[in-house]
Amino acid sequence: MTSATLFWLVLFGLSAALFFVTAAVITVVGVRDLKDLLRKTEMTK
Amino acid sequence: MRFQVVDWIILFLYLGLSVFVGLWVKKYVENMEGYFVAGRRVKIALGSATLIATEIGIVTFMYLGEIGYVTGFSCFVLGITGLIGFIVIGKTGFVISGLRRLKVMTIPEYYELRYSRGVRLIGGIVLFFAGVLNMGIFLRMDGIFLTETMGFSSDVLTPVMVIMLLIVISYTVLGGMFSVIVTDFLQFVILTFGMLTATVFVVLEVDLTSIADAVTQGMGEEGVNPFVNPKFGWTFIIWMLVASICTSALYQPVASKSFASENPEAGRKLFLVAGLTLAGRYMIPMFWGVAALALFGPDLSPTMAMPKLLGTVVPSGFLGLMIAGMLAASMSTYSAYMLAWSSVAARDIIPPLLCKEMGERTTMHTSRIISILIGIFILVFGLWYELPATAFQYIAITGAMYSAGAFGCVAFGLYWKKANIVGAYTSLILGAVAPLAFLVLSQIKNVIPESFHFLIDVNVSGFLSFLLAALGMIAGSLFTQRAYPPRHLQPQE
Repeated sequence: MTSATLFWLVLFGLSAALFFVTAAVITVVGVRDLKDLLRKTEMTK
Repeated sequence: MRFQVVDWIILFLYLGLSVFVGLWVKKYVENMEGYFVAGRRVKIALGSATLIATEIGIVTFMYLGEIGYVTGFSCFVLGITGLIGFIVIGKTGFVISGLRRLKVMTIPEYYELRYSRGVRLIGGIVLFFAGVLNMGIFLRMDGIFLTETMGFSSDVLTPVMVIMLLIVISYTVLGGMFSVIVTDFLQFVILTFGMLTATVFVVLEVDLTSIADAVTQGMGEEGVNPFVNPKFGWTFIIWMLVASICTSALYQPVASKSFASENPEAGRKLFLVAGLTLAGRYMIPMFWGVAALALFGPDLSPTMAMPKLLGTVVPSGFLGLMIAGMLAASMSTYSAYMLAWSSVAARDIIPPLLCKEMGERTTMHTSRIISILIGIFILVFGLWYELPATAFQYIAITGAMYSAGAFGCVAFGLYWKKANIVGAYTSLILGAVAPLAFLVLSQIKNVIPESFHFLIDVNVSGFLSFLLAALGMIAGSLFTQRAYPPRHLQPQE
């Protein structure tokens, strides 16, 4: 394994980790946002 | 047969859940603003999830997996250029904050506010046809992917894809943006699990050292250095960077998520959050493609390699979860695109052509009918139309036809006080000239003089379309300031 391939594999690992961590945070906060959206819409009907 | 009973159960549970959620939400649609922009009450996390789900589809996985198989690690640079584009928009609010402040529902709507109804009509027509044609290849790519991963012939899979499309049409037509956002969120969660499942099994089954060796031994320097790879190079990378910053926020299916946000600040920040995921969501399918190169060697069809890998390494049970994730990715893309293009037709094309305003109910019904027609088009075009070999190139260049003119009209309209109606028409027309020249000249390249061959370089054509659109806007506006004084807009909030 050369330093160039190691660089890309590490970059891939970091990018994939950032994707899955961000997705987990979005999911948790998004559930709250979704409830809020439906509640506010229900109130204005 | 790789796809077992347990996989079918998981797949149909997901499809059933999509139907239930999509139709349940339709009760929240009370008016046109609810139908097209979900009442503009969407917060950052929910908006980011729906934006990411829109941007990820099977067609994206296929294209990125293919480029990974063909170019090795070099293509990872596209994840970096895309990330920079989204982060710049997310930090500065370039274009998107201005549009959200004006409370538009579609991008051509801005053309009428800033220029004239005629500019809105021309811009709307170009956007609608470029966008619908762009969708034409999606279902075909889905078919290739599912055939390779599930191990069935297209006879078995055609009904699955028809059912998937009918579900998307039904909830998009009935619930509009409300259904799109809520189902997008569900699909975002499922597609993330699908991507995680696929990546874990690829890493477990294909050794990282063998992946690195396959690239260095098979491709040499070209596999690890994008600047020397003949498919990329400096011009392509700079072109991708410019296009990413200039056009990421100008695509109606993406921009509509920002228009639905609760305020301009949230509309800007969802690009920032979605940008954090961009490098990963590009590089993950690219990595699957590189792993396919290590496992199968370089002699497979590049389109088939990545799905064949996933069908090989992901075991039954998990395969159902992964396929559900992939279908979720596609369904969220179809619904957003369908709603985006039908809203452009119902709001930007039909009223100017009829020379009269349409009421809220009529506009929503028109949008619903057009959504159904788009669904039928996708089905016919995607399943039964034999695509020519250069279809992807053709569709990419029709996208450039729209985005260069849109960049000229929107960016200059927002940030340059002298932009006027003549500049807008000139920008829309000149933005389409270079891609159109590319399209025509590439068909007759054997008979055109050598000195004109630069026009059939797709990178040059892309650069030229933006340059000509910008120059058209500047020259057209400056020479006609007195005859056509520019309009100035006041934000609505």
